[in-house]
Amino acid sequence: MASRYAFSIDLDRCIGCQACVVACRTGNEVASGDAYITVSEEIRRKDNGFWGSFAHKRCFHCTEAPCVEVCPTGTLTKVNGLTAVDMAKCSACGYCTQACPFHIPHVVDNHVSKCVGCLDQVQAGEEPWCARTCPSNAIRFGEREVILAEAKAKVAKLRERYPNAQVYGETQLGGLGLLMVLLEAPGVYGLPEAPQSSATIQTWKTLVKPASAGLTALAAGVMGLAFVFARRQHAKEHAEVHTAAPVEAAVVETPAQTEENHD
Amino acid sequence: MPRPSVTRRNFLKGTLTSLGALASPAMSGLNAAARRLTRHLPWYKQPATITYNYCDICPWRCGIIVSSVEGRVVKIDGNPNDPKSRGRLCARGQAGVSYMYDPDRLKQPLIRTGERGEGKFRTATWEEALDYTAEKLLAIKDKYGPESVAFLGHTSGDFWFTDYFAQAWGSPNASKPSMSLCTSPREEAATLTIGRAIGNHEPVDWDQARCVVLLGTHIGEDARNTMMQDLANARENGAKLIVIDPRYSSVAMKADVWLQIKPGTDTALLLAWMNVLITENLIDSDFIARWTVGFDELAAHVADKTPEWAAAITEIPADQIRATARMFGEARPASVIVPGRHVVWYGNDTQRMRAVYMVTALVGGHGRPGGQFFNKTPFLEAYPHPPFQVAGSSGGCGAAPGEESDTLSPGPTGKVRADGVRERFLRGATAMQELIEPMITGVPYPIKGLVTYGSNLLHTIPNVPRTIEALKALDFVLTIDILPQDHVAWSDVVFPEATYLERHDELWGCGHKTPYVTMREPAVPPLYDTKPGWWMARELGLRVGLDSYFAWQTAEEYIDRRLSSLGLNLTKLHEQGGVMVQKGKPYLTDFEADGTSPFGTASGKVELYSEALAAAGHAPLPDYEPTPDGPAGFFRLLYGRSPVHTFSRTQNTPALNQLMAENAVWVNDATAAELGFADGERVWLENQDGVRSGPVPVKATPRIRKDCVYMVHGFGHNTPDMKLAHGKGASDAMLQTRYALDPISGGAGMRVNFVKLVKGS
Repeated sequence: MASRYAFSIDLDRCIGCQACVVACRTGNEVASGDAYITVSEEIRRKDNGFWGSFAHKRCFHCTEAPCVEVCPTGTLTKVNGLTAVDMAKCSACGYCTQACPFHIPHVVDNHVSKCVGCLDQVQAGEEPWCARTCPSNAIRFGEREVILAEAKAKVAKLRERYPNAQVYGETQLGGLGLLMVLLEAPGVYGLPEAPQSSATIQTWKTLVKPASAGLTALAAGVMGLAFVFARRQHAKEHAEVHTAAPVEAAVVETPAQTEENHD
Repeated sequence: MPRPSVTRRNFLKGTLTSLGALASPAMSGLNAAARRLTRHLPWYKQPATITYNYCDICPWRCGIIVSSVEGRVVKIDGNPNDPKSRGRLCARGQAGVSYMYDPDRLKQPLIRTGERGEGKFRTATWEEALDYTAEKLLAIKDKYGPESVAFLGHTSGDFWFTDYFAQAWGSPNASKPSMSLCTSPREEAATLTIGRAIGNHEPVDWDQARCVVLLGTHIGEDARNTMMQDLANARENGAKLIVIDPRYSSVAMKADVWLQIKPGTDTALLLAWMNVLITENLIDSDFIARWTVGFDELAAHVADKTPEWAAAITEIPADQIRATARMFGEARPASVIVPGRHVVWYGNDTQRMRAVYMVTALVGGHGRPGGQFFNKTPFLEAYPHPPFQVAGSSGGCGAAPGEESDTLSPGPTGKVRADGVRERFLRGATAMQELIEPMITGVPYPIKGLVTYGSNLLHTIPNVPRTIEALKALDFVLTIDILPQDHVAWSDVVFPEATYLERHDELWGCGHKTPYVTMREPAVPPLYDTKPGWWMARELGLRVGLDSYFAWQTAEEYIDRRLSSLGLNLTKLHEQGGVMVQKGKPYLTDFEADGTSPFGTASGKVELYSEALAAAGHAPLPDYEPTPDGPAGFFRLLYGRSPVHTFSRTQNTPALNQLMAENAVWVNDATAAELGFADGERVWLENQDGVRSGPVPVKATPRIRKDCVYMVHGFGHNTPDMKLAHGKGASDAMLQTRYALDPISGGAGMRVNFVKLVKGS
């Protein structure tokens, strides 16, 4: 196994066919109604015509993954650059859903649900299902350095036609394990330039985790405080999450029909 | 639908569990153990059986590898040995598992008990259903002759009924929607112009193309696996892409130039391109001199078809027409217009398709690297059988069109096709929609029996009210299908078929750059009381006196005999990965080397000017013929494909239904605002004849012209027996009460219908 794997998605090649979505569903036996990947159209007016691309919503496999840092049960861990899930450990607390700056993990049927990079396949020497099937070969997988170099080379090629083309994820959160070859600035795709974890995770990192290391009794007390704090924070974010309609909208609606017109 | 965001209850529970985790590792351990027990071992960690197949979810027929665990199909992947899939597969192909395990499948043979159309049936044994069917078919044959039974088929098993059984039985009235409701114009235009078929796999030499034109073709939404691969690679290699569509399609995003053409004016654009290519000398003079006839006539014909002339018709600025013609010409001869698949648009479609091949010919693209290559059909001997009672004329994606066009083969009682060929249209495969009228009127002779195989009559043939009238008038209707599609309710007998994953089948031999043969073997035994098509055809054949045509006992025996001509059998083909690839002859140089011509026309050349058409009283050079606009307040109804559905076949497939449960009607956003329709508002669509379908949500978007609306084909299923698809979306077929008959190919141009939006859900 490589030391550090990564995906890349070349949005110049992607034609939005959703083969990855169904390959992922069947390969990973994803529960009916759930999905690890959604693909939607991004269309904008440009000059006298349009600009269009597809947007993929799926786990970015951050190196400094807020979900891993916040997970209290060790369900989420980093394995060779991928963010793995040990389903048996999940308590469905939902911290990860709050911590993720991309709103990716979600709780379904009392456990966390998100792309795990087909770790079982990778460990068996195979590519993840999505990369294996992608008809336009837009999804690549391999050693991160190789994937990153390939993505950079593609961007250099794209610049003539798309001056704002760029690799997304080279440095963000310690470097993402899913690199995107974007045709435009990240904001166009609804991606944060500098993704950060939420306040909740900061509380957890600075207060709860250090405290719990040696001082179990104190930890219980702090936990109580954190609980109250987190509840407030949650109530606040809950509203935001719903108005922003992040993951659930993409999962529930028909992605092929989902499109934003910005005119 | 589960909400991924945390509910308050979950949050509390989760927090308590986390506290528990801190306080009591033992408790957490118990929880985990309990959860582990409920999680089963992933399928890929269990021993899997591999079988080879070709996909039947769409007509592209990718080679696939099917994995099964403990008698259950679990995963389908592209077969790396297959020239079409090359190891990859689209969303629909991946969803084949879901299609097979659809709980709404037809499960047992059925015999009608209520009125036709009511959908009331009783279950029957195969013995009873077959005996009853045989009796009914023989009664029609005795009274009217075998020609009075029509065979309408689709999907990859249709060979057994639409081709093999129909020809043995003696009916020339066998047809597939893949011809007159899809590709007939492009096939007849190709036969007339380059003397070759296009066939199942459009012979576009993507690998080396430097300029590719998509004329109304929306690759990506129309998700042909290989084409999506080829398109991405061609662009990566620097090919220019010109997309012509009234709608900013998915693939328009990828285009170097998108031309938002006025619907129905494509031929004007093509004529203007020829004008520019010729006047600016962006042509391949050597190719034209050596391999074409009628260039001078063509040059004279397009002399006044200037970009300015076309601009007024197409509503594309003249400078864009000129610029794209130059882009195409400058890349010569590695320039090609993709022939497209569904080309029955306005009734003058063969002439438009001739113009398509002529543009490619002017730049010398035929048989040149990066242009349109010459496909070749694989060598494979037929199973020996007595001479058929009638020659085949049903065509189909995989057939060799043109063969049926020279002579009309009469059936055993002397009757030729009832579809009006030679009278109302010139040539081509049997026109499916033209077989409906004789079922009602008995002219030119009665059609009293109907065998349908996998063809969704009420979502396929335009003028649905007429089809229903015909279904009422028939003496007998046998339907063979996987799902209780809308037309099943109109049957007297229903044979439930095993899916492609549960049966052996005829080999698939595909005309290609590298011709090849693939196999189909069952991954698991048939579910329920379903049977393979070959078995039904044979059992029925034995009951109607066609024993001599069914000398073989099993499909394996039949296939092994055919494969022996390649030194193979099923076992060996399986062992070598399910595919046998042969050598092709794709380029002009391959023919120049042996001094033959690749062009099967009378002249052995590309016929820019068509003597054959002139002799038959048709225009020897394509003209732009205006298609009438709709009534005031109506929009031209355009339709197309979704990457997650095939025709009207997969709307009930759970994995695909989840991705797209209904269609929407695309309306120009400014127009929608003027009319007072909001984005997402549900409306009814009402056509020029007062027929309604819907309701569907409005997709108000600037991506479509103001004079047309667009929807994905295949929705609006009426039958409650398809529970997921029932009542979802609108049916474009229902709204196509009119069509324009192509006087050359018999194609049914369906983009001549207009709809208005009506408030109310």
